[in-house]
Amino acid sequence: MAAVLSFKRVCKRYPNGVCALNDVSFEVLSGEFVSVIGPSGSGKSTLLRAANALIPISSGSVYAGGERISDLRGSRLRSARRGIGMIFQNYNLVYQLSVLQNTLHGRLGYMGALSALLGLYSESDKIAALELLDELGLADFAYSRASDLSGGQKQRVGIARAVMQEPRLLLCDEPIASLDPSSSKTIMELLRSLAKKRGIACIVNLHQLDAARRYSDRIIGLSHGRIVFDGTPQMLDAAATERIYGTACENLMTGGSDVPENSATLP
Amino acid sequence: MSRKIPLLSPDLRRLYALFLGAVLLLFVIATALTGFTPALFFGQSGEIWKFLSEDFLPPRLPESGRIQVIAEAFLTTLAMAMASTTAAALLAFVMALFGSERISPYPKAARFVRGFATFLRNIPTLVWAFILFSSLGIGTGVGFTALLITSFAFMTRAFIETMEDVSSDCVESLLAAGASFPERVVHAVLPAGLSGFISWYLYCIEVNIRASTIVGMVGGGGIGLVLFSYIKTFHYGIACSIILMVAAMVIIVDQISGRIRKEILK
Ligand SMILES: Nc1ncnc2c1ncn2[C@@H]1O[C@H](COP(=O)(O)OP(=O)(O)OP(=O)(O)O)[C@@H](O)[C@H]1O
Ligand SMILES: [Mg+2]
Repeated sequence: MAAVLSFKRVCKRYPNGVCALNDVSFEVLSGEFVSVIGPSGSGKSTLLRAANALIPISSGSVYAGGERISDLRGSRLRSARRGIGMIFQNYNLVYQLSVLQNTLHGRLGYMGALSALLGLYSESDKIAALELLDELGLADFAYSRASDLSGGQKQRVGIARAVMQEPRLLLCDEPIASLDPSSSKTIMELLRSLAKKRGIACIVNLHQLDAARRYSDRIIGLSHGRIVFDGTPQMLDAAATERIYGTACENLMTGGSDVPENSATLP
Repeated sequence: MSRKIPLLSPDLRRLYALFLGAVLLLFVIATALTGFTPALFFGQSGEIWKFLSEDFLPPRLPESGRIQVIAEAFLTTLAMAMASTTAAALLAFVMALFGSERISPYPKAARFVRGFATFLRNIPTLVWAFILFSSLGIGTGVGFTALLITSFAFMTRAFIETMEDVSSDCVESLLAAGASFPERVVHAVLPAGLSGFISWYLYCIEVNIRASTIVGMVGGGGIGLVLFSYIKTFHYGIACSIILMVAAMVIIVDQISGRIRKEILK
């Protein structure tokens, strides 16, 4: 299978001297669901933003869709970006606009300059958007203002917008960090099923170890900007977890079934 | 155990005391330097009061032939404030797009845009009016341009802040979706910030209605100039009624724009 994204010896040093990515190399295959885990500040967000060149890298190469994305400028960069959807922790919707308008923003990268500027989306795009919203359980909300939705619903709009880009790859930066456990489950399941159905590869930054284990084909562990683990969920044992988080498993709140029963009785 | 428990830490209390002392000291120094003493003010208050009550009051109506001129001058002042604020808002919007690192396509230049706006803003409207008056002569052109410059600078800063508050996240998401800069402006910056922009714009109109009267006095035309000419020719009664009308105009505009702003920000 072809790689939809590959990092080759990527380093990212911020202007303040922080080395957020240090010699990072990996490939993501078409349709693969990859979770990236690691403590705060380990470089997860930096890694995602380097993948679609939202931030420039210091050295190494990032290849997406066969092109070295760090070399692209202007319209070539924009057309590379439209093939990569992005989902944010804070949803990043335009809250004053309707759900449908937000969903259709995913098409802007494909439209002619004038029609995109005027928001003249084609009828087929609108139909596709409504069908997608229906698939995400948002059929009744197409004309609601995005600000009127709950967090879980907002994130589904975020997913709809990204999927409207017909991407080969989805980048998800802590998509469930602001959600309750039940919405989190819905979002992760929707994300996985949508991606698998359309053959879209996913990279998901997660702080929830149990979610990473349950939904991923593969887990990448980051620590201090380096990849210290890269393997299947089964391979993520106590030793690997300790390598990633720098502390023994018992000291981590992993959530889900790892929480002992009696902890529920604590006040 | 009769000692009271203090509510402030002793350090903080010392800081407050120091601050109060410094303010008092500055007051004393300033009074000494300007030669103005509060006693003098109270000593002369009789004269000020006499001037106000005998020369200014009661307000008198201008001759009927002048009423049309005065009405026109009022309209000129209103128009000057509205036109300059509107032109300034449009320019400031474009400028502000380049003043935020997270929105501008040239993030490195954003600092200079902000610096330029700050520089313009720190020169008071009245000073601009004097500078322009010296080169353009008396006329509404002076008032318009002076108000335009300062409200442009003010709104540029205000719009940048509004944009960074409400638009930078959704701008990033459109950037990631491959949207071009004009598309990001139209589909994210504008809808997300619109209520904020309008609110600042209305606030600026309020400020400029007041300022355009003053700017008028130093050569900017409109009601300020008319008022000034009445004062210069000792027609204090008429000046008084104009001042009252200016106050009424300011209050009415404030009320209207305040109402609209409240509606918008809901
Ligand atoms: N714009 C920036 N300028 C300077 N340093 C930055 C910037 N963004 C991130 N960093 C630094 O780079 C390192 C990695 O940050 P990054 O945001 O990628 O971490 P993260 O793994 O996403 O953390 P979290 O889990 O808290 O989101 C951190 O040390 C951070 O302080
Ligand atoms: Mg992060």
